[in-house]
Amino acid sequence: MTASSGVVQPHIEEEGPGGAAHGTTGIDTALLGMMLFIASEIMFFAGLFGVYFNVRAATPVWPPEGIDFIEPLPLTGIGTVLLVLSSLTIQWAIWRIRKGDRTGLVRGLAVTLLLGVAFLGIQMYEYFHFVTEYSFGIDSGTYGTLFYTLTGFHGAHVFGGLVGISVILLRALQKQFSARHHIAVEAVSAYWHFVDVVWIALFITIYILK
Amino acid sequence: MTKAVRLMEPKRLASLLAIALALAGCATESGSSIVGDDRPPGFLPGEVVTEQGQLTAGLYLPIFLIAVAVFLLIEGLLIFMAFRFRRRPTDGALPAQTHGHNLLEVGWTLIPAIIVAGLFVASMSVLFRVEARSESPAVTVDVIGFQWQWTFEYPDYTDASGEPVSLTGAGVEGPEMVLPVGETVRFRLHAQDVIHSFYVPQFFRKLDVIPGRVNQFDQVILQPGTYGGQCAEFCGLAHADMYFTVRAVERAEFDTWIAQAQEEANATPPPQPSGGVAPGEGATLAVSSISITEGFDPEVLEAPADTPITFELNNPDPAAPHNVAIRGGNPDGSDWIGEPIADPSSSATYQAPPQPAGTYEFYCSIHPNMVGTLNVGS
Amino acid sequence: MATTTAPHARAYPSGRTWVYEWLTTTDHKKIGVLYMTTAFSFFLLGGLMALGIRTELAVPGLQFIQPELYNQLFSMHAITMIFLFVMPMFVGLGNYIVPIQVGAADMAFPRINALSYWMIPMGGLLIMGAFLFGGSPIGWTMYAPLSVVEPARGVDMLLMGLVLLGTSSILGAINFMATIFKMRAPGMTLMRMPMFVWVTLVTSVLLLFSLPVLTSGLIMLFIDRNYGGGFFDPALGGNPVLWQHVFWFFGHPEVYILILPAFGIVSEIVPVFSRKPLFGYKAFVLATASIGALGFTVWAHHMFTTGAVFLPFFSFFTFLIAVPTGIKFFNWLATMWGGQLRFDTPLLYAVGFISLFLIGGLDGAFLAVVPFDFMVQDTYWVVSHIHYVLVAGSVFAIFAALYYWFPKITGGKLNERLGKVQFWLLFIGTNLAFFPQHLLGLDGMIRRIADYAPNAGWTELNFLSTIGAFMIAASILPFMWNVFITLRGPRDAGDDPWDANTLEWATTSPPPAYNFDALPPVRSERPLFDLKHGTVAAHPASVPAAAGQTHGELREDAPEERLGQPVEGHEDSSGETRGPGAEVSAQAPDATPAAGSDAADLPEAARQDAQKPRKPGEPE
Repeated sequence: MTASSGVVQPHIEEEGPGGAAHGTTGIDTALLGMMLFIASEIMFFAGLFGVYFNVRAATPVWPPEGIDFIEPLPLTGIGTVLLVLSSLTIQWAIWRIRKGDRTGLVRGLAVTLLLGVAFLGIQMYEYFHFVTEYSFGIDSGTYGTLFYTLTGFHGAHVFGGLVGISVILLRALQKQFSARHHIAVEAVSAYWHFVDVVWIALFITIYILK
Repeated sequence: MTKAVRLMEPKRLASLLAIALALAGCATESGSSIVGDDRPPGFLPGEVVTEQGQLTAGLYLPIFLIAVAVFLLIEGLLIFMAFRFRRRPTDGALPAQTHGHNLLEVGWTLIPAIIVAGLFVASMSVLFRVEARSESPAVTVDVIGFQWQWTFEYPDYTDASGEPVSLTGAGVEGPEMVLPVGETVRFRLHAQDVIHSFYVPQFFRKLDVIPGRVNQFDQVILQPGTYGGQCAEFCGLAHADMYFTVRAVERAEFDTWIAQAQEEANATPPPQPSGGVAPGEGATLAVSSISITEGFDPEVLEAPADTPITFELNNPDPAAPHNVAIRGGNPDGSDWIGEPIADPSSSATYQAPPQPAGTYEFYCSIHPNMVGTLNVGS
Repeated sequence: MATTTAPHARAYPSGRTWVYEWLTTTDHKKIGVLYMTTAFSFFLLGGLMALGIRTELAVPGLQFIQPELYNQLFSMHAITMIFLFVMPMFVGLGNYIVPIQVGAADMAFPRINALSYWMIPMGGLLIMGAFLFGGSPIGWTMYAPLSVVEPARGVDMLLMGLVLLGTSSILGAINFMATIFKMRAPGMTLMRMPMFVWVTLVTSVLLLFSLPVLTSGLIMLFIDRNYGGGFFDPALGGNPVLWQHVFWFFGHPEVYILILPAFGIVSEIVPVFSRKPLFGYKAFVLATASIGALGFTVWAHHMFTTGAVFLPFFSFFTFLIAVPTGIKFFNWLATMWGGQLRFDTPLLYAVGFISLFLIGGLDGAFLAVVPFDFMVQDTYWVVSHIHYVLVAGSVFAIFAALYYWFPKITGGKLNERLGKVQFWLLFIGTNLAFFPQHLLGLDGMIRRIADYAPNAGWTELNFLSTIGAFMIAASILPFMWNVFITLRGPRDAGDDPWDANTLEWATTSPPPAYNFDALPPVRSERPLFDLKHGTVAAHPASVPAAAGQTHGELREDAPEERLGQPVEGHEDSSGETRGPGAEVSAQAPDATPAAGSDAADLPEAARQDAQKPRKPGEPE
């Protein structure tokens, strides 16, 4: 190398609080990646919501004749409460690990996992109930298709979130996280909050506003 | 490396070549082309025969001139710069490192913005007039598009039983719609299966034919003639074969034509096609058209040679109309096409001319993928 | 900094075979090469399909290809060229170049990067496999209800393949955005990034927001096809036009995804080969961002003839997009004006792009006129427009980029004469193939037909167009030969064969595994230029600049003009990374940083760090 003053080294990721990869300032890179991913998922649901609102606006009777069993209470309402609770519990888990409380983290994650599983269980029971009791399936007209596609893909995202929570729960049990290094927990919790927000939008749109 | 740019801009060569060919006319056969006018393709629209179409076509020239001007300006600058500013061996110092120029940049933002704003306003004004629909059109035609044929119905002109006069095409050229010139015609478009598009180039207009939706538009045809049309939205296997024609005539002739069509619609039973053979004479073949994808049953038919053939077609298909046709089945070698087409879940009887011994392909003229073999024995 | 000797040491530790290395690499440069070679293979496949189409259309009558196959061919030709050629090619180029241009050692998420790549051949296999199951004869636009009722299983394979490819692109977009936002060299503010990086950023935003909508649409179509869904069936309460809305909401940003990288490439090449900075950098950035944003407002201009859209809104915004596009054109011209143009092959392609994309753009302006669109929608006018912007646009830019960056990627410069032969063949062929199609469309020749009437007067122009298509195909041959002989020849291009401006030319060709030993200071959008010529304002340099000088040599004659000239041994106590006070080491990104490198020793320390043996399993 010649006498080259005025050169700097290539930019390398440095560590910062919460995670492994951290630029000199600003949001952690992995968390940024998760936020961008969530943005793309929002657009995915936007496509489905767009179709829902379009069809609804064009259909005089909505829900169509004979579909009077999509009610917010009791079951789906309970499921909603459980899911909202699970967002609170995972956030509590985050606050705990930020303070270095590994036990709190494990407990918070475990409860979140259970609440999420309960939500999915309620959803699956609802599906079963609709199909057997009312012969209401994905092929029951556009309304049926929309209902199952929207709630079904939401359920799939809940399942994905539960997989993520299981992974970080296992890692937490192996004491892999600390107050300074727990970026995976931050990322998974962001995803979980997103899943919850989508559910609230879905619940209000399909079950309440109708 | 400047040798390359001393050649004449090749794209100009290509353009000149295209113009030359276009203007020289092409070796078309005599008679009207199946779509469009008889003039060869050129840089300007061909013959446009409707009031609305002419409004749009009139918009083309000014836009074209603006486009040509922009084209010449930018290409001219490029060619000029390629020569004027090419690197010379004597170049030593860097050229002036200009980064920007506010006035220039504002200029080349504002001027195009003004031009496109003008184009927008002009196009909207034409659009408004083109899309306008009359309170009371003189004639309404219901255009029904299905894979792969057209039906035209005249709801204002019914037969004795109240059914509108209806024409369905058979074969590639499709049905011919007759209309009066100088009066507003309302087209209502209905799709039975997939999206099609009703396109008559000489109307300078198309509109999509969409299931679940009835699109409508008005046209006033200004001169008599026969104008070809074609389905312009990809609709499957025989999309390329969904032609139709529109024949515009003076009002008196239209009145005669439609009255005769009503007469024909009243006649029961519907007239049989040529052949002049009473039903029952000659060989009778029974065949079913199951569906577009499953074809005919049976797929192989036998008939004696040189004997008139009666096809008894059963169409159990609830979704599509069918018929029977024979490739090369006419004495002059053209395809014989059984008419009228059998509606879904109905049947029809066709009289086909005698066939010399040989193997023929029979098919459905609306769905040419439905084929079978006709063995005409000695 | 490294000298001009191209490093030829094995880039990976012993014990790993060549095959294993390439199958498992997470190095953005290798992944970039994988993308580009895969994309080029699909280019050839898609080109063969095009030749099939044009051969059949050369004269009226069905000579070689029946409608059943023809409909599969034109559908698959578009899918292949768009999703398996142009998009992966631009992603590959971006993968290779963007991290180096911002001064990073790799992309933000190298393993996701590898995953993104491998989804391409997988998706490609699924999509090509459709041919074994009846193909996908529904057009690349897949309009319902035809796409719902089409029985061929190939359609479902296409849908699955596209979901896979879409996911690959979304992950890639996330990667690019994270890299660009988080890993730029010290001093490289957003307004000092190379234009290629800017367009990659905007393209990534478009990908992120539009592709998921396509995915949702593809899933809706899959459900309608296979599970009795009623999204698009009016009998069940659905609406076929909805498909068009969902598709084109993706589809229109998609075409900007296909062209913005091309704009960026042209904006890299024109300044270098004119020896002037890009005229109006800020305006260019704004124009790119506006095109990106406006791209989301115009989708229904593909649906003017459905009778189901609010025409004035979409027409207005379609016209509006012409303005930022025009700004780009004028900026390129102003960059060239007063410059010293060297018409090497990259500039030939860039200027070819400018001259011909213009035609495609003007076509688009016509199409914005709604009543005119009523005439030429679904005709060869649109086919002409598409191919001018995609062939004369994207493909020309791809070749420009390949010629420009080939020496950086391989160390060997592609042969100029062969390059010019290819250029003229491609240029003439492109015009011959697609210009006559304007006239055909204006005359009423519709698209997506295997055959046309013999008495329509369209025969000559179709024949001409077919000749052009074969010329385009022929032009690929000198290119492939060129690549072959260059790769076999000496790799002696050096660090900076074009006398260029941006950071990728400040390292060896090809770069070492970690891209840089050390970075020049970044004080403008032309850091290497600044290093070579000293800072130059809008006046000529006071000293002649000889071409081909490496970045190692500074202009000693005008030291007082140099910006950011650090005082020797200066340490910025705030830890701000400026000048040689930077503490960042040259190790792999996820290794712990070297403790306490003294600023004054930095060049030495960096060199030593760079020579430390890699720990096994560390990414390179």
